[in-house]
Amino acid sequence: MKENREERIASVVLIVFSAAYLVCAFFIPMPLFKQQLGPGAFPIAIGIGMLILAGIYAWQQFRGGAKAKEEDEEVEKRAVIIGAVEKIEKKADLKTMGFMLVAMLFYAFAFERLGYAISTFVVFMAGILYLDRRHLVRDAVIVVISSFVLYFIFTVFLRVRLPAGLLSIFGL
Amino acid sequence: MDFLSHFWGNVTLGFGVAGTPFNLLLCFVGVFLGTLIGVLPGIGPMTGVALLIPLTFSLQPSAAIILMAGIYYGAMYGGSTTSILVNTPGESSSVVTCLDGYQMAKKGRAGPALAAAAIGSFIAGTFATLMLMLFGPWVAGIALNFGPPEFFSLMVAGLTVVTSLAGRSLVKALFATLFGLAIATMGIDNQSGVPRFVFGNPELMDGLEFLVVAIGLFALCEVFVNLSDMKDAVQERLSIKGSLWLTKEDWKRFIPSCIRGTLSGFFVGGIAGAGAAVASFVSYGLEKKASKYRDELGKGAIEGVTGPESANNAAAGGALIHLLCLGIPGSGTTAIMLGALLMIGLQPGPLLFTQQPAFVWGLIASMYIGNIMLLVLNLPLVGMWVKLLDVPLYLLLLFITMFSFLGVYTMNNSVQDLYLMVGFGVIGYLMKRLDIPASPIILGIVLGKLMEEKMRQSLVISDGSVMIFLNRPISLFLLFLAVVAITNPYWKQIGRAIRRLFGKTQPDAL
Repeated sequence: MKENREERIASVVLIVFSAAYLVCAFFIPMPLFKQQLGPGAFPIAIGIGMLILAGIYAWQQFRGGAKAKEEDEEVEKRAVIIGAVEKIEKKADLKTMGFMLVAMLFYAFAFERLGYAISTFVVFMAGILYLDRRHLVRDAVIVVISSFVLYFIFTVFLRVRLPAGLLSIFGL
Repeated sequence: MDFLSHFWGNVTLGFGVAGTPFNLLLCFVGVFLGTLIGVLPGIGPMTGVALLIPLTFSLQPSAAIILMAGIYYGAMYGGSTTSILVNTPGESSSVVTCLDGYQMAKKGRAGPALAAAAIGSFIAGTFATLMLMLFGPWVAGIALNFGPPEFFSLMVAGLTVVTSLAGRSLVKALFATLFGLAIATMGIDNQSGVPRFVFGNPELMDGLEFLVVAIGLFALCEVFVNLSDMKDAVQERLSIKGSLWLTKEDWKRFIPSCIRGTLSGFFVGGIAGAGAAVASFVSYGLEKKASKYRDELGKGAIEGVTGPESANNAAAGGALIHLLCLGIPGSGTTAIMLGALLMIGLQPGPLLFTQQPAFVWGLIASMYIGNIMLLVLNLPLVGMWVKLLDVPLYLLLLFITMFSFLGVYTMNNSVQDLYLMVGFGVIGYLMKRLDIPASPIILGIVLGKLMEEKMRQSLVISDGSVMIFLNRPISLFLLFLAVVAITNPYWKQIGRAIRRLFGKTQPDAL
């Protein structure tokens, strides 16, 4: 079962994360004057709690048998009552998502360097060209409005400082 | 008489605040944007409120909350429209409305379905506001006597109740809550000045900004989720034929289900502290049991629209009681609102009613006004809202991305925040795949600092003994509630184990 494999990996990751958090919590330095409860106590308690829960999660994933199945059914029944959101079962389009992730990282990288207007323009255009290029003219107009025009509205009318980036060459 | 004149004074004060042209405009902008967010399938109320928080930075607290509350209950209204006409819920609390609403539209009764949803929402929203007005000061008065131990236990109870209803797996939901609390511990410790989990990064000294996490977990996560299955987004849309108005027969069936929905929704949202989505499901269940026309449910019965839609609005209003009187959010959206108020520098809680009457009563008055605006906005203009669905999904996703970056950057002018936000977007997507609910994380972040503070204060009072939480009756009761909330999914199993222990072999009668 593929889904189960994902969850197994996740449970191990969560255990490692909880343990790392707990270890860091133990290394929180004590303040100079002694207090009833130092700054480390609350994080340590949380870390222990997370470790226990991650452990239970892993145990739920790695045990097998009829009893586990029965419990899963009970969980499903409860999920219907409280209206839990549907699981995403469909296979993800990893290529598109990877593209978007790279685009977002570039956006973050370029936000100050190129400035809001240019970086938004680049990311939007790239997104449109990648996702759907059937309405290029209409979309290009929208892109110009949401990058350059919005930039001027924000900086000139609303007086919100946005990074000018390359535009600063033109003294804007 | 003294109470009455005091009450009247507050109401006039409230309408004085909410009635200024600027606040009226904000209220309108709020409900308008809220409806927009509710209609658009990509973004729910949580994402919407989180994305628009940067807009409120320059506003007065009372103006900010008027705007946010407008978005909040506006989204509750808007979500129903797409449920009925397109069979796509705009947000999770309108999922149930699809069942009967879409069937009604298929039968050519889209008009009455939309009208029933809007009027039901209006009645329920107004009722919830009235209750907030009547009971808010009373609840706040009780909470004024709370000491640190009571507050700590109250937060434990609030967190566990919300968490226990947040997803299908309790273990995952609880882990998410603790993860949120863990994020809240980052930064300089308020009481000792010791840096915690800062890793030598000066920008983390103030801790992780909650908005960075919220926008990453909700807005960017939505972008990823929608991108991953964008291809099959073709929808069949039903048009509105015939009269918008309800017939006499409709009214006869509308009124009892609206009353049931309002009361159950208010109970679930306002007293139990569960969110609007739970309220709508509870209400549908109630209709199945109590309605005279229960056999028609699922085939286009008006009760299936009125009940859940009234319930989710009543719950949304009810959740504000928790937020304003106790400072404890009862849902993901109110948690985000609490975070925003904290950023503005306002601590909601029992003192709010006495110290900031203009804020509280201004909000309440604006909710009456907003509800009326929504009724006007939604009924005649329904056609316009439906047109919004023509906005192509890829453009919508790009816009969500842009607004996320814009919002998070303008907060601190920090590029590191942008990277962190993208990181939380990825985490949010992975969590969604693994079915780990995200709203408990926000709850944990928002309440974490205060919870730790109250815990430490309590233990200073008691000289280090944890018995202080159990010795005080109110605190004990709240902790008992927390235990009930956590164990309730396992009662059956526990009961079975006990029976087995005592040697009874009969199959369980539950």
